[in-house]
Amino acid sequence: MTLLEVRDLTAGYGPAEVLHGVSLRVEEAEIVVVLGANGAGKTTTMRAIAGLIGRKGTVNLDGASIIGLSPDKVVAAGVSLVPQGRGTFAKLSVDDNLHVGAAKRRDRQGIKEDLARWYEVFPVLASRRKQMAGTLSGGEQQMLAVARALMSRPRLLLCDEPSLGLAPLIVREVFNVLQRVNTEQQMAMLIVEQNAEIALGIASRAYLLEAGEVVSEGTAESLRESDAVRRAYLGY
Amino acid sequence: MQVFLERLFDGISNGAIYAALALALVMVFRGTGTINFAQGEMALFTTYIAWGLTTKNIPVVLCLLIATIAGFTLGAVTERVLVRPIEKRSLLATLIVLLGLFLALNSLDGILWGNQNHSMPSLFPNGVNSFISVDGARLYWANLGVWLLVALLVGAMFQLFNRTRLGLHMRATASNRESAALAGIPTGRILLLGWGISAAIGAVAGVLFTPLNPDALGLGEMFPLLIYASAAALFGGLDSPGGAVIAGLLIGVAESMLSGYVSAIGGQLQEAIAFVAIVMVLLIRPQGLFGSKEVERV
Ligand SMILES: Nc1ncnc2c1ncn2[C@@H]1O[C@H](COP(=O)(O)OP(=O)(O)OP(=O)(O)O)[C@@H](O)[C@H]1O
Ligand SMILES: [Mg+2]
Repeated sequence: MTLLEVRDLTAGYGPAEVLHGVSLRVEEAEIVVVLGANGAGKTTTMRAIAGLIGRKGTVNLDGASIIGLSPDKVVAAGVSLVPQGRGTFAKLSVDDNLHVGAAKRRDRQGIKEDLARWYEVFPVLASRRKQMAGTLSGGEQQMLAVARALMSRPRLLLCDEPSLGLAPLIVREVFNVLQRVNTEQQMAMLIVEQNAEIALGIASRAYLLEAGEVVSEGTAESLRESDAVRRAYLGY
Repeated sequence: MQVFLERLFDGISNGAIYAALALALVMVFRGTGTINFAQGEMALFTTYIAWGLTTKNIPVVLCLLIATIAGFTLGAVTERVLVRPIEKRSLLATLIVLLGLFLALNSLDGILWGNQNHSMPSLFPNGVNSFISVDGARLYWANLGVWLLVALLVGAMFQLFNRTRLGLHMRATASNRESAALAGIPTGRILLLGWGISAAIGAVAGVLFTPLNPDALGLGEMFPLLIYASAAALFGGLDSPGGAVIAGLLIGVAESMLSGYVSAIGGQLQEAIAFVAIVMVLLIRPQGLFGSKEVERV
């Protein structure tokens, strides 16, 4: 079953068009990776799907169009974005950050259970519940951003460069958690990454974005073998 | 001692009003990133409405209620119609629009209610004999009433900010608007509400402050108040509601003591001192006494 279907998506900032008709899809419970150089339009794609910028084309979630929705309505529809740079609420405690993630939910009991679950999955956050989020390390903030997005119980998690600025060991940890959540919750994910090696390792399929267009797509295996990806992203 | 106490009481009353208005300024600043220059004139407009109703023999409590609702509406409409479409362009444009609103409201007041000053009836017993004696000093019920109502108002705001879901969403929107939207918060509605609440606080402050002095309701009433409240908000650190309240009280008391004990200071010079205070804060401690370092953009 196709969960997210994006067809001929165009978007940009003001008069400058950045995406010139991007098409991609994410199946139920699948992890899909978008690779691309700096400035290829990866973040723009994510922001367009999340409803943060003006966009045209088709964006369907489970067959229903979500293209005209404001960001909060996109969240309500079941899509949550972990933005590039994490978007931490610096002056709110870790606990409050996670509660904000549940803004669209009304089920108190469920929120409580999820909070307990994510504190278990992210023990570094559990020991810093009352700490101001701005004082966390980069890796901790990335964990917090992921946990915050998960608090909305999304059907599709969008993740924009989760490895950015993190030490290799921490990157490994973040991707382990993403993979674990995917397996345990059957949660579909669309992940933007420049660290192709590690991202392709947990993905089933991948897209290669160049100058606002998809230039290559296929299974993670096939992209790993492709010369273009090898040269640009894997270095061998 | 007696004179000192009476000056202290007056200072606390004025300070409570500055604190309430400073709190309103801080609410808008945290949400929108700008000082609402029209805050004082919004309060004046709603105070005129309340006064107009009292002349029709409507009980003052009811007039306060109506003025508060009018204030909320005025604030919400300002956000939706004036601020939201313009703030996307630039902060400076927003400031200029708010200055424009300041002038427009003041002229409108003049057209609607004329340029004569009026006395506003008080919510509380306000006769020459409505006081209790504290150590020989007179503490008027009107003062006590102001303290109590402002304390309740500030307390309610802090409960709202720190204990409710709505308050959490307001803090999140203030901290990072885009992330708040990505977390599912309807940020537009939150900002509208913030402006509404802020103007409603101003409306209460206006109705409480005006009866403290005879003939106080006039076109020039709120400008000095806005200056003191801005000074308080700056002292407190612009993004710190607690700081704004404490600084408001301090400024009220300082003003009362200075003008009481230093005979050279009076009338216009007080405002000049507030200006000097603002400049000093900006020079020495831009983030205010309680604010966080990031807030240096105004
Ligand atoms: N707010 C903005 N205003 C104007 N142009 C922008 C804006 N954000 C991005 N762009 C432009 O859009 C293009 C794509 O940017 P985008 O952020 O989507 O790239 P990216 O693939 O995410 O790159 P990176 O790997 O560096 O994050 C770039 O040319 C960039 O200059
Ligand atoms: Mg990017």
